Amino acid sequence: MHSPLPRSPGRSPGPGTPSNPRRSGPAAPPGTAPRPKDFSFLLRPEIFHPLTPLNIPPAFRNSTKQPPPQTPLAELLEKGHFRAAAISAVQTLTGTGHTPQPDPTDHNKIFELLYTRWACLTLINSTDLAAQEVKALGDLNSAFYLAEDPVTGKTNHLVPWELRVVNVRLQAIGFGDLRRAVMSYYELAREARMKLAEGMGEHDHSARELWRERLEDLGVRVAGALVEMGDVKGAGEHLRGLKVAEGGKMEMMRALLWLRLGDVDAARGCVMNGEGREVTRGEKVVLALCDMADAEYEDAVRKWRELEEEGEDEMVTVNLAGRVLLEGLVDAGRSSHTLLFNLTTMYELCTERARSLKVKLSEKVAGMEETNHGWEKTNADFKL
Amino acid sequence: MSHQRYPSDAAVKEPHSVSLKVLRLSRPSLVPQYPLSPPLTPPSTSSSPAPTPAPPPILPASLSYTPSPTNPSPFLLSPILALPPSFGSAYVGSSFSCTLCANHDIPPPIDGGPPLSRKTIRDVRIEAEMKTPSSPQLIKLLPPEEQPGIDLQEGETLQRVVGFELKEEGNHVLAVQVTYYEATETSGRTRTFRKLYQFIVKGLLVVRTKTSELGLGGKGGRRWCLEAQVENGSEEEVVFMEEIGLELEKGLKGRDLNFWGRGGGGREKVVLRPGEGEEVVFIVEEEQEWDGGVEEEEKKVFGTLQLGWRGEMGGRGWLATGRLGTRFLRPREVTTTTG
Repeated sequence: MHSPLPRSPGRSPGPGTPSNPRRSGPAAPPGTAPRPKDFSFLLRPEIFHPLTPLNIPPAFRNSTKQPPPQTPLAELLEKGHFRAAAISAVQTLTGTGHTPQPDPTDHNKIFELLYTRWACLTLINSTDLAAQEVKALGDLNSAFYLAEDPVTGKTNHLVPWELRVVNVRLQAIGFGDLRRAVMSYYELAREARMKLAEGMGEHDHSARELWRERLEDLGVRVAGALVEMGDVKGAGEHLRGLKVAEGGKMEMMRALLWLRLGDVDAARGCVMNGEGREVTRGEKVVLALCDMADAEYEDAVRKWRELEEEGEDEMVTVNLAGRVLLEGLVDAGRSSHTLLFNLTTMYELCTERARSLKVKLSEKVAGMEETNHGWEKTNADFKL
Repeated sequence: MSHQRYPSDAAVKEPHSVSLKVLRLSRPSLVPQYPLSPPLTPPSTSSSPAPTPAPPPILPASLSYTPSPTNPSPFLLSPILALPPSFGSAYVGSSFSCTLCANHDIPPPIDGGPPLSRKTIRDVRIEAEMKTPSSPQLIKLLPPEEQPGIDLQEGETLQRVVGFELKEEGNHVLAVQVTYYEATETSGRTRTFRKLYQFIVKGLLVVRTKTSELGLGGKGGRRWCLEAQVENGSEEEVVFMEEIGLELEKGLKGRDLNFWGRGGGGREKVVLRPGEGEEVVFIVEEEQEWDGGVEEEEKKVFGTLQLGWRGEMGGRGWLATGRLGTRFLRPREVTTTTG
């Protein structure tokens, strides 16, 4: 079967890997099932990097909460052991773990494990490793990854949508070319539009909804990719052309873009067109951020306080940025990267001996319940 | 802060009971996020048989904070703010601000030794001064006589914020001095220490101008065309230009030929990424009819070009060029001003 991997001319193709990876395989004769494709090139151990436990604070590394090696992958994910899950997924893929290696033709299982691996790597601050590893997939637009559905006769992609989406950003990072991400999202969007049209033609309501949401999701991701390329203005133009249904979300996105750019007036303008009605919570968040950007800190604090009284939101309390408030959040079981980063920055300001406070904080967070919000943290989270 | 040099209080061997920590107060930044679908949810390949499953929710760990309706996921930017991760770069035209914290640190007990004697810390004062490349002496930022001394209990902090407009390129030194009275049960003394923080201020915007004569206007006044090129000379800063305006001398009127200028309805944003530039053009005209005479100094001064900008999350900057004008003997002279 064909591998989508680009190969250098000097290297002889392996068995069953023709030199031209882009040509699609021979069509199966009518009436016979197509030969299953061989994905063994994604199971090679050399694709995957070892993960060092050295950037994990001792409070986590030596915790009794560290899962035993035979813990099932689903449980690792459920409890937020993402580093362990990334390792476990690779052990299964390479046949070095407690669970049997998937059959090289079992693409569902293989891609599920690969998605788990790379999603988890991005969650544990190892996106750069994931970006190297995804190169093994080669070109996902290769015909190799397409298959004909024996029942409907439609051509389908074998790789789950989520993996294709995450692959876009990771490959762009891996190849050091962010523009590539924008192009790849557009390619996915073209497919989503086609499927959406198909769903509408067949009156398949759930398919229509699914593809509409995916299309919307891609549109928002393109804007993010433009921001990462440094083209904030372009991202704003792009958002203008998007239809995002939910109330207020588009206004929030645009306002955040303009704030990032420094155009505070434009950010205010995004939320000030609802005259004669109550300011929504999202709008008030934007207005408080605008006050911060204008260095009107007293006004900002007043708005954040009001928001805090109206309902619990980690973001609001973190933005109020008081040490006691942040410690209160940690006591309440919150542990987002930003919360810990800001709190440790305050520790650094408050004493020459911040290290002991940071270690204590890491011990407190390591004692928290394990949830899918993520349990284990890295040294960087505590600036250790 | 960037380069801490040395504590100059070397004569006193005993460690100080008060520590000084400094953080530059740049604007906080919006935290990026990369929302993900949870792994191991039922596969949603398009090859899966109907009915098509709904898209799975976002994995909470991939969001920048605990899931909330205020989060515009899956958008990259989120409204939670992170404190500045490092000193960053300092540019001419921007405000420099930092917080100075004097802390009454509790010394750790020496292993096996007796508990350390308690000290009372009174009358803590922070002085701050700035040395710029051209200033012969230090510029006072926090004069000590304007602040009362503060008593600090163990673990308490005295916090001050100082601000300074950066107007010159080159080496700047922030000098901070902490003075306090340290008392034990039997004795007391006034102690002081000083810390220096050095940082480099770089130019951000480069302005080049060119003037050319346009002959007489409709009312008989002389007219000139002033062209200016504003370039972002930094390596990493993105600049949103809020204002590029000409502040004219008396007896002159000007016309802004730039369509993005103030007052316009659909204002086009001028954003300069590193290395990018923007051209602006102004017509300058004398209000009075020309009598055929030429200025004694053989130079006509128009005024100054004023630039206002915002950086990421709204950090402000402002610059004015030197006085721009034209010479009569060399009418097509190019003047260069570095901002």
